[in-house]
Amino acid sequence: MARSAGPGLLATFLRSFVIQGSWNYRTMIGTGFCFALLPSLRRIFKDDPAALERSVRRHVEHFNAHPYLSNVALGAIVRLESDEVDDQAIKRFKTAVRGPLGGLGDSLVWASWLPAVSMVAMSLFWLGAPPWVAVATFVVVYNLGHLGLRTWGFRAGLRNGREVGRSLTRVDLAAWTERLRAVDALLLGTLAGALVGGEGGLVESGALWAGLALVAFVAGELAGQRLWRPTAVAVVAAVALLTTWGLAS
Amino acid sequence: MELLLISLLGGVLALDGTSVGQFMVSRPLVAGALAGWAVGEPATGVLIGAVLELYLLVSFPSGGARFPEGASATVVAVASAAVVEAPEAAALGVAMGLIWGQVGGFTISLLRRMNGQFVPEPATASSRTVSIAHRLALGFDLIRGVVLTFGGVVIGRGLVQALAGSWPLPMDDTSGLLLVGGAVSAGILLRSLGGFRRRSVLFAAGLALGFIGTRLF
Repeated sequence: MARSAGPGLLATFLRSFVIQGSWNYRTMIGTGFCFALLPSLRRIFKDDPAALERSVRRHVEHFNAHPYLSNVALGAIVRLESDEVDDQAIKRFKTAVRGPLGGLGDSLVWASWLPAVSMVAMSLFWLGAPPWVAVATFVVVYNLGHLGLRTWGFRAGLRNGREVGRSLTRVDLAAWTERLRAVDALLLGTLAGALVGGEGGLVESGALWAGLALVAFVAGELAGQRLWRPTAVAVVAAVALLTTWGLAS
Repeated sequence: MELLLISLLGGVLALDGTSVGQFMVSRPLVAGALAGWAVGEPATGVLIGAVLELYLLVSFPSGGARFPEGASATVVAVASAAVVEAPEAAALGVAMGLIWGQVGGFTISLLRRMNGQFVPEPATASSRTVSIAHRLALGFDLIRGVVLTFGGVVIGRGLVQALAGSWPLPMDDTSGLLLVGGAVSAGILLRSLGGFRRRSVLFAAGLALGFIGTRLF
């Protein structure tokens, strides 16, 4: 690197935890991205305030990525700015990575890792484990993956700069996502078994509720996400109706 | 004093949802446990948290999507249900949580629109304006979470106190009703994982494991 970000690197890494703090529909995480970069930029351009402000204007523009994987871009941008790479090349890099870092992160973290750990914790709870064990398992296991991904991403970006795509290809996050989704199916079955036969589960509630739950499960599988909101409305309506009935009788 | 503590807890947990950290302590399971501890009803807290976690299994803070906010909703649900002794009040608490999750999602959209008004324009931005705008936005999100939780707990507690005595179902049926709603989320998740046809073997193996688990523990 031509100019070192030095201690600014740690501050940038720590600020990456608030990268979505000013999320908005105009620049998305652009302002947060620039806020996270600032400590490193201040070190890199410590002798050139005008260059610092030019760099700020470059990075406050529209940007979006999954918050954990945005560390890949943060690390790479610190490297590019340190290497005095030209403005247009940096813009092209950010445009190229924001789509993949968003899509990969959403499918790996939100749609695979989070449900996996959540289902482990809920299965433990409904299988009768002490509640604090279920909660602690969730927090510890989830954040091992979370912090590992953030740290790996930042280091990979910093090490490889513009070539960080190679790290992403080598690790093959898409393949990991697919494996994790298979595990998710197994865990969903385990959770379903615990919800049916576990303490306070559907067996204890009776055949009527077990039958209705089976119908609801099949309906969810057939209709997908669009059934979520009507279900929430139906549950609230059922609670309201039952309460009204209870008041009247 | 307790109401302020709960509201602050809701605000801090709501921050974790998108703005700060995303350690997922904002998920209903964790938020429920913390709220239960705060109101002196840890068992109610974890139970309501686990039910809402099941409902929100297919809800993620993804990109610009509007999603039900689980953290403040769970704190509201637990704090509301905890005002009466009857465990059946959990149904009223969960219903309140489901409503408040939607209200929370709406306030996040509002906040994001507001953030768009004051984040600096790229052409005129400076290191100072970026720092100020970002910190202000973080502060607004904390205030949003605190006010949202405060309002929800005040309304929820009033409703539960007035209505809990009229709840007609015993606990087993109450659990059944709540789990039927959760079963829809489980079905939606299976579809998103590739559907029953593609995942039937793994799902069935998991189901068997789950049943065996219920007999062992």
